[in-house]
Amino acid sequence: MPVPETFEFFIDAGRCIGCQSCIQACAECDTHKGQSMIQLDYVDRARSTQTLPVVCMHCDSPTCAEVCPADAIKRTEDGVVQTARKPRCIACNNCVLACPFGVPKMNTRMNLMMKCDMCHDRTSVGLKPMCASVCPSQALAFGTREEMAKLRPRSKPVNTFQFGAQTIRTKVNVMVPADAQREFVDVTAAMHEPTIGHEVLDDVFGAEVRA
Amino acid sequence: MSDAHHSSAGEPAAATRAPGLELDMIREFGPFRAYASDVRIDSGVTPDKRVKTHCCFCGQQCGLELKVKDNTIIGIEPWYDFPFNRGMLCPKGVKRYLQQAHPDRLLHAYEKDASRASGFRKLGYEDAVRRVAEAIARIQREHGRDAFAVLSGASLTTEKAYLMGKFAHLCLGTANIDYNGRLCMVSAGAGNKKAFGVDRAANPWSDILGAEVVLVAGANVAECAPITTNYIWQAREHGAKIIVVDPRITPLARTCDLFLPVKPGRDTALFSGILQLMIENDWIDRAFIEAHTVGFDAVAAQVREWTPERTANVTGVAEKTIRQAAEWWGAAKTSFLLHARGIEHHSHGVQNVLSTINIVLASGRIGRPNCGYATITGQANGQGGREHGQKCDQLPGGRDLANPEHRAYVAEIWGMNADELPQPGVDAYEIMRKAERGEIRGLLSICFNPVVSLPDNNFVRAALEKLDFFVAIDFFMSETARYADVVLPGSLQEEDEGTVTQVEGRIVRIQKAVECPGEAREDWRIIQDIAKALGRERGFTFQNPGQIFDELRVASKGGVCDYSGVTYARIEQNFGVFWPCPSETPPGVPETSPQGTLRLFEPGSWNPVAKGTGPFYFPDGRARFNPTPYVGPAEDVDENYPIILTTGRVVSQFLSGNQTRRIGPLVDHYPEPRVEIHPQLALRLGISDGDWTLVESRRGNCTLRASVVKTIRPDTIFIPYHWGGRKSANQLTISAQDPISKIPEFKVCAVRVVKAPGQPEYAALLQPQQ
Amino acid sequence: MNRDVRRSATRGLVASSTLGALIVAGSRNLDHFDAALVAYTFSILFATFGLTYRYSMWLSRPPTALYWRRGWQAFFRRGLLIRHAGQLLSRIGLDVLGNRFIVRRGQLRGLTHLLIMWGCIIAVAITFPLVFGWLHFSPVPGDLTRYEAVVFGFRAFRFPHDSTLAFFLFHGLVWASFLVIAGVMLAMRRRMREGGAAALQRFAEDFMPLVLLFAVSVTGLMLTASYTWMKGYGFTFISILHAVTVIGTFLWLPFGKFFHVFQRPAQLGVGFYKDVGRLEEKAHCRRCGHAFTSRMHVLDLIEVERKLGYRYEIAAGEVEHYQWICPPCRRASFVMAQGLLWRGHRGGSSLPCAEALLPMPTFANRGLGEGPLDSEDAENFHP
Ligand code: SF4
Ligand code: SF4
Ligand code: SF4
Repeated sequence: MPVPETFEFFIDAGRCIGCQSCIQACAECDTHKGQSMIQLDYVDRARSTQTLPVVCMHCDSPTCAEVCPADAIKRTEDGVVQTARKPRCIACNNCVLACPFGVPKMNTRMNLMMKCDMCHDRTSVGLKPMCASVCPSQALAFGTREEMAKLRPRSKPVNTFQFGAQTIRTKVNVMVPADAQREFVDVTAAMHEPTIGHEVLDDVFGAEVRA
Repeated sequence: MSDAHHSSAGEPAAATRAPGLELDMIREFGPFRAYASDVRIDSGVTPDKRVKTHCCFCGQQCGLELKVKDNTIIGIEPWYDFPFNRGMLCPKGVKRYLQQAHPDRLLHAYEKDASRASGFRKLGYEDAVRRVAEAIARIQREHGRDAFAVLSGASLTTEKAYLMGKFAHLCLGTANIDYNGRLCMVSAGAGNKKAFGVDRAANPWSDILGAEVVLVAGANVAECAPITTNYIWQAREHGAKIIVVDPRITPLARTCDLFLPVKPGRDTALFSGILQLMIENDWIDRAFIEAHTVGFDAVAAQVREWTPERTANVTGVAEKTIRQAAEWWGAAKTSFLLHARGIEHHSHGVQNVLSTINIVLASGRIGRPNCGYATITGQANGQGGREHGQKCDQLPGGRDLANPEHRAYVAEIWGMNADELPQPGVDAYEIMRKAERGEIRGLLSICFNPVVSLPDNNFVRAALEKLDFFVAIDFFMSETARYADVVLPGSLQEEDEGTVTQVEGRIVRIQKAVECPGEAREDWRIIQDIAKALGRERGFTFQNPGQIFDELRVASKGGVCDYSGVTYARIEQNFGVFWPCPSETPPGVPETSPQGTLRLFEPGSWNPVAKGTGPFYFPDGRARFNPTPYVGPAEDVDENYPIILTTGRVVSQFLSGNQTRRIGPLVDHYPEPRVEIHPQLALRLGISDGDWTLVESRRGNCTLRASVVKTIRPDTIFIPYHWGGRKSANQLTISAQDPISKIPEFKVCAVRVVKAPGQPEYAALLQPQQ
Repeated sequence: MNRDVRRSATRGLVASSTLGALIVAGSRNLDHFDAALVAYTFSILFATFGLTYRYSMWLSRPPTALYWRRGWQAFFRRGLLIRHAGQLLSRIGLDVLGNRFIVRRGQLRGLTHLLIMWGCIIAVAITFPLVFGWLHFSPVPGDLTRYEAVVFGFRAFRFPHDSTLAFFLFHGLVWASFLVIAGVMLAMRRRMREGGAAALQRFAEDFMPLVLLFAVSVTGLMLTASYTWMKGYGFTFISILHAVTVIGTFLWLPFGKFFHVFQRPAQLGVGFYKDVGRLEEKAHCRRCGHAFTSRMHVLDLIEVERKLGYRYEIAAGEVEHYQWICPPCRRASFVMAQGLLWRGHRGGSSLPCAEALLPMPTFANRGLGEGPLDSEDAENFHP
């Protein structure tokens, strides 16, 4: 069954607290039990606790599928880009390297690429994906646009991304400020940006102590 | 675990090893890591049933469903309808199912046997109970009733907590019962009682959503109360400003609007300074102060000395930041203040709590929608566990053991003479001191792992070793149970039913999902079996937790924590019931809503203490301002110990780790404790990321790997405390206690830090979780 | 594209006519050809055309074309050929014949696949030569106890008809059917009970092949049963039924899941490509400086992406092409881009980094299965 159109995925990584619930819950999903598909990294743990939760964005024209020499990655009619078909995937790593968002994972021993399929076993029967169900910060959220608009009036969903000269449109949205000028997120422009957080030093010694 | 682990017969007895390195004992009883396997990863298995219950791993009590197949919990499913968390869970909640059907699970009673490498031999359940009863009877006969003490815990259901208090006071007749909430909620509880006359979160969490300013003090919300994050972010989505007070840049603090990197132990100074600025700028609600409080003037006079300059000086927070915080907090129309152990785990924890309450009362923003205050409970039943009489000075319903009226009321329900009720006893740490001095000879502990969780645990170990008889009830062989003469196999949360009261004061239902395995029993049965073996079974013949709850309802009736109107059915129908929820209200007072009392202190509300004179729980109905003279930490830094050590938690572990260190995926998440050090300090000490680092205090030392990060004050290091033995942060901490709440000062002590000469002995011998 | 179609069609024709010619030659001008099997032959000829056509079309896709070429180049790499030949044999043995990687996905899964695969291999090995007239058995004149095998019209060997060999030869198809049926049952069972499989499977893609295999095997067995125990009852009807299922299966070969039988060996080429890549110069991520895959792989991907019409070129700066960014840094760039838009709305600021290159993002969880799935995930991107 296709994933109902009214339900969408909304990501606001700025909310993420790095708790790893998503990692743990992902491994509970029937399609890949015991293995977690979500990607979660520290940008730069030495400087801040910022974490990067990344699920498959389900591109309209998925680079991963196009560079696959084995035709193993299929996009179903509901726009979900499925994980590699097991009989076909030859574990060449192309998708892993070419996905603009860095999503697929490689299971070498099984000769198989595995990636987030938006919990197809759940979403296709009207349930939320595991990660977005449990995420305590709701950095990963799943619901209708209307719900989102009500919950987060100062944000808006955007699903267009710029990588160099390439524009990629996705099924999954990210949340940007409602007053953001542009209707797309320029990924490569932010490529050399360092992590975001507070600096403890500025404030640590009160004025007098510093003097 | 089977006898196969006994292979190493020839090795020396475990006792010769350093603490935590009892290798044979560990080989037999773990902690080992469990991962999902077999039926748990077979996606073709259909569960027999799905049980709607709650997570066992923190005071928020997230609702979830357990999937059960053949008496094994095979996984979880979010419970989307439960309003508090709507399906959200932290990693502990997601993986909690792996604690059940665990290879380390105690299936039998054990007794100490020094001739065996593992230190224990199996014992039939009946024999074990008999041995316990005989030991209790003998010790009480020879050394007096108070020579036998009871330590209980706040992760037990409220029914069990009630039963433990009753067991100590009625069956054993000992004054010495206390619980591990002594390490957790007591400062907040004492502060709340002093200021409001009642000890419960003043508001439901939904009030966070509409707050203009959310102030979080000493609470690593993202890791210790993860679900609360969504409430705070949700407030931010509507424009709320988030202020965080913490010596570390926690994940919540990373993008907060104002970060106050307070020097550990200086919270009272900070809040006094903020109050002073509020008064100076008239950012206070004079009408509210006038109408609903007493004691403001004394407090105003006392904070006058806390000029921004002095505050900055003492707290290490820049003056402009303090001013900004005072302005945001002062000028807000709605607000919510949350605090937790960060300000409470101090030798002046109650003062810290009161200093935050003072800025809440001065703002007048309490008892109204979107205007709130709460402490975040830590343990699973951190709230319910502190209300019904397992605290050393307490009787059910939040009643006082020292109050003659209260004694009479409860004694009657228990069918005893009020004079026979013991007087208040001593706190948990004092119980250890008394044990060490030989005044307490016997101890029963349940749901408590003091060898890991109490400060200065080298002392705790010595105290336990002095006991004539020590019985531990536990489902795993905890670090503390290793010292027991008899270990009785108790029950996991999912093996029993009952209620707990979560962070908001909402009573929720814990459902039984599976049966106890082997000879293990529900804890309340074990307690009743002991009472019976003692020949003192009167009052301990409950057939199920529901009966205990019904007695508790009566016992709490008319008290501050009134549960009399709460039934299991009412809880289930309303997704929980907030106490107070009296079964009847006086004439003219409207009945409590089906959900109970969501928000305390609402204008015009009735309570059994004020009896209509005002919303607060004092005879005059007014809240109290309490002066909070600043006192520094009990052990400040000096030349020999120049660095502050503060301790806390990580998101993947729960308290002493007896459960979570057995859950493989949670261990992988954060395998071993690390010392967080700011790069500036690390540079000075010549320590780089990943180096073995020796941390020494006046009480002990500990070698752990360093984690060099800029997210902590350069004068402070941090170690999480979930591990035992030589990895335990509590080898270093100080047992100084708050004079009122008796909470130990986990959050500040003085240490020195050097690069370790090499790896510690344990590194080659133990797995990370052991 | 048109050119590809034409080329592929030509290749298909060449392949099927070659097979046709071999049939004619191998059966000695159709002398040994069993006319009753002509329908089978034609369906195989068609399948040959279809398979070749599809294979050729598949090879003309930019990524496939490139890796096809690169796979062979890697294999024949000077100095490595001997080692590669050895590896080829062992990989064919372990992965292709032994299904090692499938067994790792699940033991029952592995068993399922082994049963079906070997059942089919045995069946094909027995039937194709017979159908093509390349092999037939004739009674040895004057010796009623023995048969003679005739291969490509040459007398090959003789064997007694009560020998073990005879038993296997004449009942081989029965055994093959049992293997296939057992495998199909296991596969069906998995597809029926596992929630994960249920969510993703499609009838045409996943059930059709199982149904076909099942039908072929069962009708085949019915034939045996009919002439062994039922005195040929319904034999004609069953043989038509059997023919229909077999022919259906052949015609389906180029379209559905069965095509993976022909695609799958590409895995061997990929193995050599990766091996050679490991010896070659590494690509270094132009954000964090860490080595990730081989330089050759990045350059190849850039070429493939260009051919596919992607424009991941970056005009400004030294990165040049987005393919020079390693996956963790891609994730970081993506999230930082979103985070930056919130500057001024949320607290915190960019925390500058003194080094020229940014640090490489690190897995929040290093546990296998929780962070990286396997060694390749762990090593390739997070040394
Ligand atoms: S569950 Fe949510 S908050 Fe936790 S790490 Fe994942 S995305 Fe971040
Ligand atoms: S995000 Fe990556 S893996 Fe997902 S569809 Fe797009 S290219 Fe494929
Ligand atoms: S530990 Fe607390 S926050 Fe985490 S799932 Fe359990 S109750 Fe919820």
